[in-house]
Amino acid sequence: MKCSFTLNGRAVEAEIDGLTPLLRLVRDHAGTGTKLGCGEGRCGACTVLVDGEPVASCLYPAANVEGRQVRSIESIAAPDAPLSPVQDALLDGGAVQCGACIPGVVMTLTALLEKENRPSEERVRTELVGNICRCTGYHKIVESALAVTTASEEPV
Amino acid sequence: MTGVIGQNHRRADGEAKVRGTAIYGMDYTERAALHAKVLRAEVPAARVVRLDTSKAQAMPGVWAVATAADAPGLSGMMALKDQRVFADGVIRYIGEPIAAVAAETPRQARAALAAIELELEPLEPVFDLDEALRPETRLVHPDWESYQTMVPAPREGNLAWQASTERGDVDAVFATAAIVVEDEFRSPRQHQCSIEPHAAVARYEQGRYIVHTPTQFPFLVRGRVAELLGVRPSEIRIVVPTIGGGFGGKLDSMLEPLACVLARKAGRPVRIVNTRAEEMATAAPRENAVVRLRTAVSEDGEILAQEAEVLSDNGANSSGETVACANIPPLVLGGTYRIPNARYVSKVIYTNTPPTAAFRGVNGPYCVFAQEMHLDHIARELGMDRREIRRRNVLKAGEAMVNGQVLDDAVLTDALDTVERMSGEATPSGNPKALRGTAVVPLTWITNPGPSGANVKLDEDGSIVVTAAAAEIGTGAVATGIRQLVAAEFGVPFERVVVTPPDTDAAGYDHGAQGSRTTVGMGNAALDASAKVRDQILDVAAGLLEADVADLELADGAVGISGVPDRKVTLAEVAGAALFTTGPIAAAGSFAAPPIPFDAGCMVGALFTNFFAATYHAHFAEVEVDPDTGKVTVLRYAVAQDVGKAINPQMIEGQIHGGVVQGLGFALYENLRLDGGLVLDQGLESYRLPTALDAPPIDIQLLENPYPHGPLGAKGVAEPPLVPVAAVIGCAVADAIGVPVRSLPLSPFDVLAALRDKRRDEV
Ligand code: FES
Ligand code: FES
Repeated sequence: MKCSFTLNGRAVEAEIDGLTPLLRLVRDHAGTGTKLGCGEGRCGACTVLVDGEPVASCLYPAANVEGRQVRSIESIAAPDAPLSPVQDALLDGGAVQCGACIPGVVMTLTALLEKENRPSEERVRTELVGNICRCTGYHKIVESALAVTTASEEPV
Repeated sequence: MTGVIGQNHRRADGEAKVRGTAIYGMDYTERAALHAKVLRAEVPAARVVRLDTSKAQAMPGVWAVATAADAPGLSGMMALKDQRVFADGVIRYIGEPIAAVAAETPRQARAALAAIELELEPLEPVFDLDEALRPETRLVHPDWESYQTMVPAPREGNLAWQASTERGDVDAVFATAAIVVEDEFRSPRQHQCSIEPHAAVARYEQGRYIVHTPTQFPFLVRGRVAELLGVRPSEIRIVVPTIGGGFGGKLDSMLEPLACVLARKAGRPVRIVNTRAEEMATAAPRENAVVRLRTAVSEDGEILAQEAEVLSDNGANSSGETVACANIPPLVLGGTYRIPNARYVSKVIYTNTPPTAAFRGVNGPYCVFAQEMHLDHIARELGMDRREIRRRNVLKAGEAMVNGQVLDDAVLTDALDTVERMSGEATPSGNPKALRGTAVVPLTWITNPGPSGANVKLDEDGSIVVTAAAAEIGTGAVATGIRQLVAAEFGVPFERVVVTPPDTDAAGYDHGAQGSRTTVGMGNAALDASAKVRDQILDVAAGLLEADVADLELADGAVGISGVPDRKVTLAEVAGAALFTTGPIAAAGSFAAPPIPFDAGCMVGALFTNFFAATYHAHFAEVEVDPDTGKVTVLRYAVAQDVGKAINPQMIEGQIHGGVVQGLGFALYENLRLDGGLVLDQGLESYRLPTALDAPPIDIQLLENPYPHGPLGAKGVAEPPLVPVAAVIGCAVADAIGVPVRSLPLSPFDVLAALRDKRRDEV
């Protein structure tokens, strides 16, 4: 069957069968930034946003995105544009090690900070629970997320 | 040197990682690459009666089918050569490759696998470590005597390797000691679970294999693939893309030889990537182990003598580092405390299970867990304070560890004092029934002494280019550490130093990203080459400035004359001038660990004989145990760690956070379960990894205790923070519940069982 949706602002039309995971289309049409970590919905490396909500694209049926807006890591900062505040904070805070989980983490944090501009530490940790990071022990990821919220409070 | 060292530079590879543009091993492919799938054994032990691949060969889309006949070589990771690419007529574990197929599509490859005809005759499997050593047990490798080894070591039957250390008159001390305490501890397999699975892309071109693979140790993979394929190492070229985590799991060759064999047969590139289930079932985890300890102590708590038997599971063959690191248990048991008389025997045992391998802290964490629980037991017997017994026996500067190596710079007492100072008041969870406990554990750990070569050149634009085979596995050792060291040496900004990605054709030997050695080993090699390049720069600049070399100074990307502020030549000008006069500016540098005096006579079968650039640590934990559910909550955690010299403090903190949380996984959650040789945990659904909600607050204090042979004094930092975690958590839980624990992980069920036993004993 055919599936039409918007991926990072561009129209995509793809031929899929009933079980094609969204991850396949995202990697085919946007780039390899979205990672296949576990393929079973546990690690969050494959997180993308569907109408602003994070989903595990390795399990998410592509058929469900018909007519909807999908965003992957490639949409967060244009290739020739500066990094987004979340990306910038993660690097500044030393929160990136191997980086395999990081595209998924960026998507989860971006979605959270778009909804709430001052989440508590507890809230950040709860949102991140679906993003397994085997390297960092999470502290610097959490600190970086909180640093974005404090930075955005400062007067411009 | 100012302005670069000790600063929190952002990683040079960071932008690509946060943008999603970095190409990892799992993302890499080549034009017209075929997809490979592996036929893996479904029984733990059997003889192959018939293997017929002719139907598979003829299936649509199939380009190559490979079996043992295509890869006859025997190899093993460094120590013992007992492994083949494909089962050689005998199956030794569930998951062992029997054949592999390369086809146009994954579906075609899977269909071809299903068409392979296999007839087996079952053999009696061997699973239990003690059972394996009994004389009547079937041999996993009946040909064990014929296998090549790197050094001689006691081996026999299912005892793949034995390493032992003996000092003093152990038996005499035990015969007269006031108190003798005995214990046994067990730990399970822990899986590295890097987010990126193993992957390899190989092609065969001009008589050589070119392999792109996310490996921690490119030169080892080159050597291993060559041996397994029966070709010279120079016929293999390993190129390393971005690596998505390793933790020891990507040191050894894994999928590379399969990809090579298929690529040659198919005449096309072949890509192979593990599924998560294959990853869990066949990508070698930390070994399960049994530690038996017996200690003689004086009435005032002095350790007089200790005996240990450590059994660790090699699995079906010696891929991975379990054998190579067999002597780590003796060194770890006798490296933190003063043990004047010791008999330590470490046995690596064959079983019909998937092979085990290095995982951050190789062979160490379960020994430290055992030693520390055992010390608490001794303290209980003596009615002595748990901290006091540690302070009384911990090694001080100038004292010798069990191998006779003198630890001149030991700061274990400082580390203990530091964590004590850091252990303030914890906020309790509010559960009125919760039981609370604390513990403190000291640790001496190692920096891996492996060698490194580096090439450094001055580029025509004045940048410094380091060509190295050091793999950046995420620690930042390459992405920041080496760059910061070299930038400091040349007085150029961090951004002006480039380190090329590992390629065994271009770079000199490097002993791999393991045991916290990259910043030390490659850092030293790069500094050695840099010093030579610096001399060449000054030489050329002296000519250009018409000045004496002794009066020159290198800073801010230019060479100037001291005291004459406006006479300068930029590095780009120096490079340009050199091209057609002295020739391009470049040099090779190298590093080999300086010899460390120790007593080789007390060891047998040891490949790892001493602690290079020893580091000293103390960890503190406070936990809460819910007596109704058995759930353990870590309220607070503190680490004091000797890092030699902190090149990039932020990156070091990141390593400590990550190591502690992996250690918590080993202590509380992770258990790669096997049943009848079958790995039950085939995914992250049942194999429980720590999440953001499981990471407790971690306070860190870096102790700078410079190592004279480290680059600017640096020592290894990334591996040790994992090593004592299970021990300190185990001791704190035992303190909370008032009864010892003897096996890992401390699941709620095990904690409840311990509490139930205690209540039963009390009535
Ligand atoms: S790859 Fe989708 S959750 Fe792990
Ligand atoms: S940075 Fe490696 S998994 Fe998160």
